[in-house]
Amino acid sequence: MSGRRRLGLVAAGATLLASAPIVSIFDSYTWLMQCLLTVGLIAGAAVGARTLRFPSWAQALSMILVLLLTLTWLFGSGEEFLIPTPSTFGHFADLFTQAGQDTRSYGVPVPDRDGLLFVTVLGIGSVAIVVDLLTVVARRPALAGLPMLAIYSVPVAVYVDSVPVLPFIIGAFGFLWLLVSDNIDRVRRFGRRFTGDGRDVDVWEPSPLAAAGRRLGVVGVVAAVLLPLLVPTINGGLLSRLTQTGSGVGVGTGNGTGGRINLFASLSGQLTRTDVVDLVRLKTDEQTPYYLRFGVADQLTTNGFGSRTPNGESVNQGLPDPRTSTATRNFTEHRAEVQVSDSLQQGMLPVYQNTVGVDGLQSGWNFDDNQQVVFSNRRSTKGLSYTFDYVRARPTAAQLRQAEPLSPDDPIVRLNTAHPDDAAVTDLVNGLVANKRTEYDKVLALYEYFSSKNGFTYRLSTQPVGASSEIAAFLNTKVGYCQQYAAALAWMAREAGIPARVAFGFTRGEREEDGTYKITNRNAHAWTEVYMRGFGWIPFDATPAASVTGAARSDYAPDVDLPTQAPTATESQAAPGAGPSSTDGLERPDRPDLNDSGAVGTIDDGTTGGISGTAVLIIGLAALLLALLLVPMLRRVLLRRHRHAATVPKDPKVTTLSGPSDLVVTSDTVQARADAHAAWDELMDTMVDFRIPIDPTETPRVTAQRLVRDAVLLEEPASAATLLGSAEERARYARKPLQGGELTTALHQVRKGLARSATRRTRITAVLLPPSVLMRWRLGIAEGSARLVGASGRLRDAMVKFSPRRLLPHKSR
Amino acid sequence: MTTPTWDEPGGPMPNEDFRAAAQAIMANIEQVIEGKSATVRLALAVLLAEGHLLIEDVPGVGKTKLAKALARSIDCSVRRIQFTPDLLPSDVTGVSVYNQEQRDFEFKPGAVFANLVVGDEINRASPKTQSALLECMEERQVTVDGTTYELQAPFMVIATQNPIEMEGTYPLPEAQRDRFTARIAMGYPDPRAELAMLGGHGAHDPLNDLRAVADAAMVRRLIATARDVHAAEAVQQYAIALVTATREAPEIRLGASPRSTLQLLRTAKAVAALEGRDYVLPDDLQALAVPVLAHRIIPTADAQLNRRTTDAIVSEIVHRLPLPHDRNRSPYDTRSNNAGGNQYEPRGR
Repeated sequence: MSGRRRLGLVAAGATLLASAPIVSIFDSYTWLMQCLLTVGLIAGAAVGARTLRFPSWAQALSMILVLLLTLTWLFGSGEEFLIPTPSTFGHFADLFTQAGQDTRSYGVPVPDRDGLLFVTVLGIGSVAIVVDLLTVVARRPALAGLPMLAIYSVPVAVYVDSVPVLPFIIGAFGFLWLLVSDNIDRVRRFGRRFTGDGRDVDVWEPSPLAAAGRRLGVVGVVAAVLLPLLVPTINGGLLSRLTQTGSGVGVGTGNGTGGRINLFASLSGQLTRTDVVDLVRLKTDEQTPYYLRFGVADQLTTNGFGSRTPNGESVNQGLPDPRTSTATRNFTEHRAEVQVSDSLQQGMLPVYQNTVGVDGLQSGWNFDDNQQVVFSNRRSTKGLSYTFDYVRARPTAAQLRQAEPLSPDDPIVRLNTAHPDDAAVTDLVNGLVANKRTEYDKVLALYEYFSSKNGFTYRLSTQPVGASSEIAAFLNTKVGYCQQYAAALAWMAREAGIPARVAFGFTRGEREEDGTYKITNRNAHAWTEVYMRGFGWIPFDATPAASVTGAARSDYAPDVDLPTQAPTATESQAAPGAGPSSTDGLERPDRPDLNDSGAVGTIDDGTTGGISGTAVLIIGLAALLLALLLVPMLRRVLLRRHRHAATVPKDPKVTTLSGPSDLVVTSDTVQARADAHAAWDELMDTMVDFRIPIDPTETPRVTAQRLVRDAVLLEEPASAATLLGSAEERARYARKPLQGGELTTALHQVRKGLARSATRRTRITAVLLPPSVLMRWRLGIAEGSARLVGASGRLRDAMVKFSPRRLLPHKSR
Repeated sequence: MTTPTWDEPGGPMPNEDFRAAAQAIMANIEQVIEGKSATVRLALAVLLAEGHLLIEDVPGVGKTKLAKALARSIDCSVRRIQFTPDLLPSDVTGVSVYNQEQRDFEFKPGAVFANLVVGDEINRASPKTQSALLECMEERQVTVDGTTYELQAPFMVIATQNPIEMEGTYPLPEAQRDRFTARIAMGYPDPRAELAMLGGHGAHDPLNDLRAVADAAMVRRLIATARDVHAAEAVQQYAIALVTATREAPEIRLGASPRSTLQLLRTAKAVAALEGRDYVLPDDLQALAVPVLAHRIIPTADAQLNRRTTDAIVSEIVHRLPLPHDRNRSPYDTRSNNAGGNQYEPRGR
C-alpha cells in the first residue's frame, strides 16, 4: 500500500482515537458504532479516490459525499433510500433543532437522542474529512491537531468541574500516531534510511542520525516536567506541597458518591493555597450574617463523608419558605447581592441558609430541597452575579431545648444518622451525652467537647479528611482544622442518634467600608449542621473561632474556648478576620497559629513554616548541588591518596631464593611493580588534569622526556618525572622492577612543577573538576551505553526470526 | 637527589665485559667513520643479532668503509665480493673442481666461507648470482653438488648497494631483501665530522691502521649475551602489533614477514644489550622499526604514485600504534575501542 493511502487510514484511526473524550458525554456507545461506520466509510472513500488518482478536490468531494450518504442512511427521514432528498435535509434541520433543545434540557451523560447523535456523527465525520485532507493532501498533520482539539473541547465545555483524563490521553496518542506515521512516510520518501556507518535502518528502528533530536526531546520533556514542579510560585508545586503538607488544589472525583467533586479536598485545596484569591464579594442588609454555604456532605461511610448527587427543580420555579415549616417565629428577612470572581468555578451556588429566592441566574440552576443547595450540572459560578432573598432564623438555646427527638423512622433520621461502627467513638459519645435530656443539650455537650480545654488544637497542616478512620483518629490526636472538627462533630451527633451533616461554604470574610464582604480562599470553611425538629438544620461550628478567619458564633452555640461567658452573636465586625472573639484571641496561650491576626495578607501557620522551610529546602538543594559538584574532586583526592599510600616506600624485604638462578621473585617485586604502576597512573591522571595530552603510542620514557621538555619541568620535578618514567618502564618491561624509589615525593614534585607551569584556570579546574575523573566517567558511560546498544541489537536480531514480516513476499528492490 | 640515568637508576649493573668489548669495537670503527655512532651501533647490533646488514646510500658516503671497518675490527675471516654483472653463483658459493691427483672432485669454497662477507654493490650482479646468497644467509650453509657445507659462526653478510637506479643494476628480489635484518642508510656526515675526516684521511687511510679488537669467540659470547636479554610479553606483543600493522596498512601491498618479527625482536635485544640494559623497551622496537621493516614491505601503486616511501609508511605506523600494556587497558587509550569489531555489521538483505 502506498504511503499516502496508508497515511489516510492512519488519519481516520487518529480521528477515532481523538473522539474518545465523547465517551463521557453519552450514556451508551451507540454514537461510537455510528462514528466508526462513518469514519470507516470516509476513509474507504479516500483510499478509493486515491487509488483512482482523483485530484485533491475530487478526493474531498468524494469524502463529503460519503458522509452525506452515511448520514442519510443512519438518520434518514424514512422516505428516501440512501439518496438524500430535500425532505432529508429538512429532517436534518429538525434534528439540529432537536439537538439544541436536548442540550438545554439534558445534563450529562445524555441518553441516545437522535439529534445529539446526528450532531456527533456529523461533527466527527467532518473532523475526519478535515484531518484526512490536512494530513494526506496538504501534508500538514500538525494542523490536524486543531480539528481534533475541537472534539476535545466538547466535554470540557459540558462538564463544569472535572472530566476524566483517560480519554484525552487516548486522543493524544492518536495525534502522536498521526505525526509519527507522517514523519516516517516523509523520511521514506527520501529513499533508504541509513546510519552513520552506512547500514540500512529498519522502519521502526530509531536512526542514530536522529540521536540529537531524541536527546532534545528528552531534555524538553524533562524540563517541562521538572520546571513547574520546582518553581515555587506555581500553586500545588512540589515546593509548596513540601512546605505546606496540604494536598494542593484537589478537585477530584468524590468518594464514589455520584461522581461529584470532593468537597473536602476542594476545601483543603482552597485553604492551603499560598496566594490569596478573591472569590466572592457579597453585600447584605443583615448586620451579622452567618456563613455562606454551597455544599453538603451527608453520607457517612467507612470512606468518610461524601455527598449525594443533588437533584431538584429549577430555582426559577421558586424556593420553599422555611417559615411555613418550622416552629421558630423570629425570622428576619434579608437580601444579599453576590458577585462571584472568575477564580471560583463550581457547579454550586454560594448562598445563605434558608434562601427563599434567587434572581439574576440563567436557566440551569436547580435547588435541592433536602441539601438546601443551589446547583447546576452545566453552569458554573464563574463570574456570576446574582441577588438572593433569605430569612435568618435566630433560635435561642431555650427554644432549641424544646425540640423533641424525631422518630427513628423519619426519612431525615434514616438518611442522616448512618455512620460506621467505631467503638471508641461510641464510648466517647455515650460518655458525653449521658444525663443530657434534650437533643439540643446532647449536641451542645458534643460541641463543647471540641474545646481547647480538652486538648484540641487547630492546625492547617494536617491531611484532609479521607476515610472514617481518619476522622476517628482526629478524636485521638486532637489536631486538625475545620474539616476534621466538622466531620467529627457530625459523626458524633449521628452516633447520638441526631441527624447531622457537614456543610461547606465560606466564613464571613473581610468587611469593607461600604459594608461589602470580601471573601477569599482563606475563608473557605466547613461546619456541622444538626437537624432539630421544628427548627430544621441548625449550624454548629466546632472549629476554634480564634483560628478561623471570619468565624461566627450563635447564641445557642457559644465559643467554647472563651474563658468568660460567650457573647451573643457578636457585633464586633470591625476586625472581621478575628471573628467575634478577637479581643482575647491574640493572647490565648493555646492559640495554634497567627491566623486570627486579621490582615488579609497574613499567611497562615503552614505557610509561615513554609517560608523558612522553603529557605531551608533551597539551601539544602544548593548544598546538595555543591556536594554533587564536589564529587569529582573528592573522587580525585581519594584516588590520589590511595595511590600515594601504595607508593610510599616500605622497608624492602628481599628474600633471595636459593637455587641455580639469581632471579629474585618475591612479593616485594610484585609490590614494587604495583607501586610503580600506581605512581604512573597517578602521573597520567595528573597530566590529564593539567591538560597535558596523553599519547597512547608513547613509551613511559618518551612521555617523561616530553613532560620535561614541553611542560618545562626544571631540576627536581624534571628528575622526579624521569624517575617515575623509569620506574614504570622497569615495572613493565624489566625482569626486576625499580625498588626503593621515592615515588610519592616524585609525584608531589611533578604535580607541583606542573601546577607552576599551568595557567590559573587550568590549576583551578584540576582541583575542582579534575578532567581525569570526568573523562573516566564519560568513557564509562559511553562504554556502558555501547554495550547496551550492542545487547539490544543482538536481542533485536534474535527477535527478527519471530517477525511476521518474514512471511511476506520480499519486494523487489 | 641525583638525576638518575636511563639505564642504571639503581638497577643491576650490566655485564662489564660485554660493555667493554662492545665499546671497543664501536670505538674502533668510529676511528674510520666519524660522527655516525648511531649507524655504527646499529651495524654492531645486527652482528650481535646474528643478522645481515644492507647498507644503502648514494655513492661516496662510506658504505664500503663501514663494512670494511667492522670486518677489520673483529679478528675473524673476512671475504669481500665485488658484485659485478658477470659474477657467477659459483664465485659466491664455491665450485667443485676435478683434482687430477686424487681423481676426484674437490670443493673449492667460495667467498661466503668466512665470518664476515662484504658484498659490495650487490645490486650490480644478476639475480642469478644474487640468489646464490639466499641459502647461506638464512640457513648458514652452502649446498653444492648435493653436498652441504656448514658455514662458520658468526656469519654475517654486509652488503652495500646504490639506491639510485642506474644502467646495469638489478634490484634485489623480495626474498633476498627479507633475508637482510636491517637496511641502514649512512647519510651525509655533519660538517664537523667531514672536517675531521678531511684532516684524518688527508694523510693516509685510517682503515689501514685499524687493528682487530675482538675475535670470533668473543663475538659469539657477545651474541649469547644479547640473546639473554629479557623481552617482556608486552614488548613481544608490541613487536607483533607493529608487524601486523604493516600487513594491514592500506598503503602496503606486501607486509613484513614473520621472520622480520623475529629479527626485529632479536635486533632490539642486541640494541638493549649495547645500551647496557638487560631488558628490551618498546622504545627499542620503535627505533628499529624503520631499519628492520621498511626494506621488506612493498607499497601499493597508489602509495608509490604519491611518493610515499616505505620509511614514511612504517614511521607513521609506529606513531599510530598504541602501546600494549600487560595490565588493564589505560582509560586514555580510546583508539582501541573500535578494535573489537563494529557492532553494526551490515545485515544481509
